[in-house]
Amino acid sequence: MDQLVFALLNGTIYGLLLFMVSAGLTLIFGMMGVLNFAHASFYMLGAYFAYTLEPLTGFWAAILLSPLLVTGIGVLVEKFILRRVHAFGHAHELLVTFGLSVVIAELIKMGYGNFPVDYRVPPELRFAAFSISGIDYPFYRLFMGAIALVMFAAIYLLLTRTRVGIVVRSAIYRPQMVEALGHNVPLVFMGVFGVGAGLAGLAGAVAGAFYTTNPNMALELGVVVFVVVVVGGLGSMGGAMLASLLIGITNSLAVGSNLRPADLFALVGQRDWAEQIGGLMTVQLSSLAATLPFLIMLIVLVVRPSGLMGEKE
Amino acid sequence: MTFSSLVRGTAASALVLMAGSAAAEPLKIALVETLSGPQASTGLLYRSAVQYEIGKLNEQGGFGGEEIVLAEYDNQGGPVGAADRVRAAIADGAQIILQGSSSAVAGQVTEDVRKHNLRNPGNEVLYVNLGAEAMELTGEKCHFYHFRVSPNAAIRVGTLVEGMREADALGERVYAMNQNYSWGVDVQENTKAAAEEMGFEVVEETLHDVNKIQDFAPYVARIQAAHADTVITGNWSNDLLLLMKAASSAGLEARFGTAFLDQPGNVGNAGAVAEGHFVSTPFNAETNPDLSGPFVEDYKAATGHYPSYVEPAAAFGIRLLGEALGQVEPTEAGVDVTALAQALETVSIETPMGELSIRPEDHQAVLPMVVQTVSRDAVYKADDTEFGFKPVKLISAEDAAAPVQDSCEMQRPG
Repeated sequence: MDQLVFALLNGTIYGLLLFMVSAGLTLIFGMMGVLNFAHASFYMLGAYFAYTLEPLTGFWAAILLSPLLVTGIGVLVEKFILRRVHAFGHAHELLVTFGLSVVIAELIKMGYGNFPVDYRVPPELRFAAFSISGIDYPFYRLFMGAIALVMFAAIYLLLTRTRVGIVVRSAIYRPQMVEALGHNVPLVFMGVFGVGAGLAGLAGAVAGAFYTTNPNMALELGVVVFVVVVVGGLGSMGGAMLASLLIGITNSLAVGSNLRPADLFALVGQRDWAEQIGGLMTVQLSSLAATLPFLIMLIVLVVRPSGLMGEKE
Repeated sequence: MTFSSLVRGTAASALVLMAGSAAAEPLKIALVETLSGPQASTGLLYRSAVQYEIGKLNEQGGFGGEEIVLAEYDNQGGPVGAADRVRAAIADGAQIILQGSSSAVAGQVTEDVRKHNLRNPGNEVLYVNLGAEAMELTGEKCHFYHFRVSPNAAIRVGTLVEGMREADALGERVYAMNQNYSWGVDVQENTKAAAEEMGFEVVEETLHDVNKIQDFAPYVARIQAAHADTVITGNWSNDLLLLMKAASSAGLEARFGTAFLDQPGNVGNAGAVAEGHFVSTPFNAETNPDLSGPFVEDYKAATGHYPSYVEPAAAFGIRLLGEALGQVEPTEAGVDVTALAQALETVSIETPMGELSIRPEDHQAVLPMVVQTVSRDAVYKADDTEFGFKPVKLISAEDAAAPVQDSCEMQRPG
């Protein structure tokens, strides 16, 4: 029972982390129609900036300043790079952001070296929140989860309850009309892109200390984040949250289980036969855990191509 | 073109050809490593070790009076890139292929070399495996032109559990946590095989995806549920680091026995989390300091850093190759590869750790291993931290060796 509680808690927190990164990605896609390949690179930049700032400003200021820096970079990227290629269509935007992600990764390697840097959770936050049957639950995990929830609430309220939110949402559907009403639509897009990048930066600054800060972190998380956004429905904030939790919890439960396809055959009394076949039949679910998100994506795309909560086809 | 000019042209080109055959070609060695992309960090370490030792060989006069040419090829981290680069290297005249990182890539390279040698008798190439440690490379995939100068999974695990047991750090309940590919499976199998002799029980075994997992907390919960004293893992890079960090933040008491804890950045990133964990490697600068000291200082003077991780084994391997080159005569093409391979089977060198040689049965290196633990007392600190690797036990080449696998059926020339 305790194991199950832990598995669910672990899965939820990991899901919330995935949400922190995918929120910006789905926001940018929803608003601007840009599938941003460099998004996970902003996550990495957030971690490296926080690592650089920490000795100068302390941990708290570092995780606040680092997202601001990343926002600044996001704004520059939108203004000087994306805006220029926007006219040429989505394929060009995709290629530009892909190129950008490679450039950022190489720059990081040049600046910080090939190996992980020693960006760690500060000692005052390194304690157990509680402990069940001998396993400590680190406080920092709860802290990461809380930040993700606050972030979700803030974005949701900003988009639905404020004037800025109204302008942003209308700029998606009727940009020319909004422009005619006297709003600066390019500025809105620039802001959205900057904020999206900043959210990824915040996730990086917070999670980089808990996991590792290394030049591959964008690559490692990038793929899963895309899966989350596709499963949730491109552009849907609620969908991203739902998909993140779904993937986080499935992953965590799968790791803890010893289920094999052969065990399913036991239900119809064919376990021995299935075990003789071997191969895929005797692979434990736990060794496929990291592959499950892709299976989920496949099923969702077949059954509901627009994603769990997506509107756009 | 008139008849006379044709004759003159032909004569001239014949002269050029003769001149070409009179002077021997310099020996060409190709390093086919991962030099770019996410896994480049290890490939670049192999490069620095190889450059250092080839430089030494050239200082001593190279081979056949000519400098040995070292050409570098970037395999981009995968078997496909490696196959392509090996072809290019052979076409460029390389007679020796060096490669080390990733057993998956090594599996491709060794097959390519084997097939090339089958199809081109008399123009063989030699594959010196600097550090791919999967068992199959000296097992079912073994062949006469493959030489492994690093330990393998059996040696790593065997020496690790022996050293840990002697340091009273092994316990009775062992959890095998490994990556789901040839190397990880080998570590798991060898851990199980060592259980009876070393008096422990493998309580659970897990194989997981390679370098895809961010969150190891669920795996740590499993280790905890199994009440393991020790985790034996072949994990490297992020998979090792994240596993250790997750274990420490969950307050897991288990000790880790690893193969690659000494990868640069690990101790720096894990900090105190790594303290007390074990690793078994072919070198520690603190062992036999009067011999190791000059080596590491000279290495640092040449490359700018102390040799670590895969570098010492790769450097000693090239040294052994140099010893074998001293036993054979240069030929027009560079070197008679078959004679060189035969020489490699017989030569041995003294490294700062002891004797290094290659046994003829499966071309696996027989080399001493050092079991070590992360400690504040270590002389050489890792990653500018207060921690370093403190030797626990030096295991001689003889004792470290694992038996030849039955699956190796080597076709010998002649």
